[in-house]
Amino acid sequence: MEGEEFAVGCFLSIKTTLGDEFEGQIISFDRLSNILVLQEGLESGPRRNIRLLKANYIKEFSLLRQDEDPLDVKKCFLDLTSLQAREDSAIRQAEADSERFGVGVTSEAQTLFDALSKTESCVAAF
Amino acid sequence: MNMQQVVFPKSSANGFGRQRGDREVGARLENKMQLGKSNQGRIQTTGALAVGKTVGNESFSRDRLVYLTTCLIGHPVEVHVKSGSIYTGIFHATDAENDFGIILKMARLIKDGTLCGYKATTEFVSKAPSKILIIPDKELVQIIAKDVAVTRDGFASEPQNEKHQEILIDSAISQSRHVEVERELEPWVPDEDDLQCPELENIFDGPWNRNWDQFETNQKLFGVKSTFNEELYTTKLERGPQTRELEKEAMRIAREIEGEDTQDLHLAEERGVDLHDDFDIDEEMRYSSVYRGRGVDDSGYEEEEDILLDSHNIETFGDSYDSLSRSTDGVRMPSSSSLVDDAPSSQAAISEDLNCSRPNDQARQLASELPSKSFSVSDSESRIRDKLLGEHGGSSDGNEFPEKQSVSEKPNSSGKLSEGPASSKATGEMHSANSHGQPDSSTSSNSDYVGTVSASGGFGLSPSSSMGSLSSEKSTLNPHAKEFKLNPNAKSFTPSQTPVRPLSPVSDGSFYYQTQMSPLPHMHMPVSFGIGPSFPGHQPVIFNPQVAPIQSPQAYFHPNGPQYGQQMVLGQRQVVYYQPEMQYKGRDY
Repeated sequence: MEGEEFAVGCFLSIKTTLGDEFEGQIISFDRLSNILVLQEGLESGPRRNIRLLKANYIKEFSLLRQDEDPLDVKKCFLDLTSLQAREDSAIRQAEADSERFGVGVTSEAQTLFDALSKTESCVAAF
Repeated sequence: MNMQQVVFPKSSANGFGRQRGDREVGARLENKMQLGKSNQGRIQTTGALAVGKTVGNESFSRDRLVYLTTCLIGHPVEVHVKSGSIYTGIFHATDAENDFGIILKMARLIKDGTLCGYKATTEFVSKAPSKILIIPDKELVQIIAKDVAVTRDGFASEPQNEKHQEILIDSAISQSRHVEVERELEPWVPDEDDLQCPELENIFDGPWNRNWDQFETNQKLFGVKSTFNEELYTTKLERGPQTRELEKEAMRIAREIEGEDTQDLHLAEERGVDLHDDFDIDEEMRYSSVYRGRGVDDSGYEEEEDILLDSHNIETFGDSYDSLSRSTDGVRMPSSSSLVDDAPSSQAAISEDLNCSRPNDQARQLASELPSKSFSVSDSESRIRDKLLGEHGGSSDGNEFPEKQSVSEKPNSSGKLSEGPASSKATGEMHSANSHGQPDSSTSSNSDYVGTVSASGGFGLSPSSSMGSLSSEKSTLNPHAKEFKLNPNAKSFTPSQTPVRPLSPVSDGSFYYQTQMSPLPHMHMPVSFGIGPSFPGHQPVIFNPQVAPIQSPQAYFHPNGPQYGQQMVLGQRQVVYYQPEMQYKGRDY
């Protein structure tokens, strides 16, 4: 949907061409990249569910209400080092976890494995 | 700033993984944000960022976009692509300059868009995660991230959460996957500061020298009453007028033991003797407790076994190896003697004694058999040895073990007595040797006899020294005993049903030889040579019943100990129980 101006803070209900439906509050919309940044759920705390959606996949939407800007610009800071650290740690964790994910197994089997592995603190993946 | 375009080649609709370096993109992103790597502090608001060429609202929204995507770095996200596939991975970077293609790390496909409908959910088979996944903008539909810390409050709490939640496991730390090479191990060298064996000398100062009584201290501090009684754990020391002498004797014996030659690597090391300069002895040989028959020194053991078997054969099949035995005196000796794990002369209540390898003694005892009364006590050890050597060659009887009847006083002549005065003399001498210390450590000759039972050099030990007690070394021989004369026609002994003494518990395979309480002038040496009570199981017991008797067949039993249940019958094959040799390293205290 080109040309539309998305006002920040609006609550929208959106349906995507892929069949997703959700509601969210607009944080930002970048026309150049056509990416709509939405915040889902209520802002109950510093952590939010963020969704970046390419606007061209919006099948339909409707405006629910208008609210103020959910992003408090004054509070926006970025600490790159901690981000980097977080990423490293996440990668480490993912590598460790990856050993627990079976390759070539169905999701059902994976669920089973995950459930069973909870009974032991240390499960060797084979 | 490198404005190189990142190329996102088109590929299948599934999206694609790329094992490509993404540093450029990441770096570019950072550059874009104009945040130096050294910038540790917080950064300006997104509004202050100069991004690209966008202006006005777009700049504003672009800034926000950039800010938010930056917030996502390191965060697990779900990416939907055009084909309907969904990837999950760690958000790594985005191409903020252009159209925001993104890069994921450790991405996994969790929903395959190509499979449609029902199939998609059930038949989905997981694939290995890709280290780096680049999703171009064209494929991108949406990115979903949960629990993203967007504002400062979120940031503050986040690192703590992360730290608590992340448990570092060893494999993650070591990243063993990344390191293929084995580390080159180096032997530990002590620091300069460490003293050479610090305070070892002090530690073992006698406890009576210390000014500190641990029991007393314990009592004071914790009110614990000690019931420690030293004598429960060790031999009771006789303290009295004799103490000085006893101590001196003990020191002498200790010195003797420690000064012995030993071929044993471990013992040598302990004593500070460098046995092997040849460097084919590696650490394992030096310090491992695994015994491997190896090397020149230990070859004795292997030979022992062979010899032992040979001896057994000899006994079984008659002695046709005279010449052989003669020629291999030195070697033979031990075997025969080892066969007889002789308990010391019955006279000595020194059963514990000789066990350990006194091959010569034992052989002699054997050979001599008996309750000989003519013990020339005075003979020296070496003479005995020589004699034994001599007679050993001459007689095949090193292997004969006439059984002695402890109860009966009749000389129990076995079929094969290697009679001869030499034997008896040898016995006598041996007995005397038993009683006296053996001053000259016959280690030299012993070294050949790496007896099965013996610790190397054990032969040199004075029997009395091996005794736990420091009791006087009276000779237990009866100098007035009647000289032994072999009576071949003597009736063979048949033991009574009930054993004279209760059988002592002994590990399987060992004979319990109870010494005769009274020093008998006619000493009957039991054929079955058992191990003294103190070392059940340590020593190999070789029960060697008399074989191929020349004269009347006799049955020999050990009256006092557990029997192997062998009856020796003339002419029949004897079952020889052969215990595997075990190296007994130590003394028979």
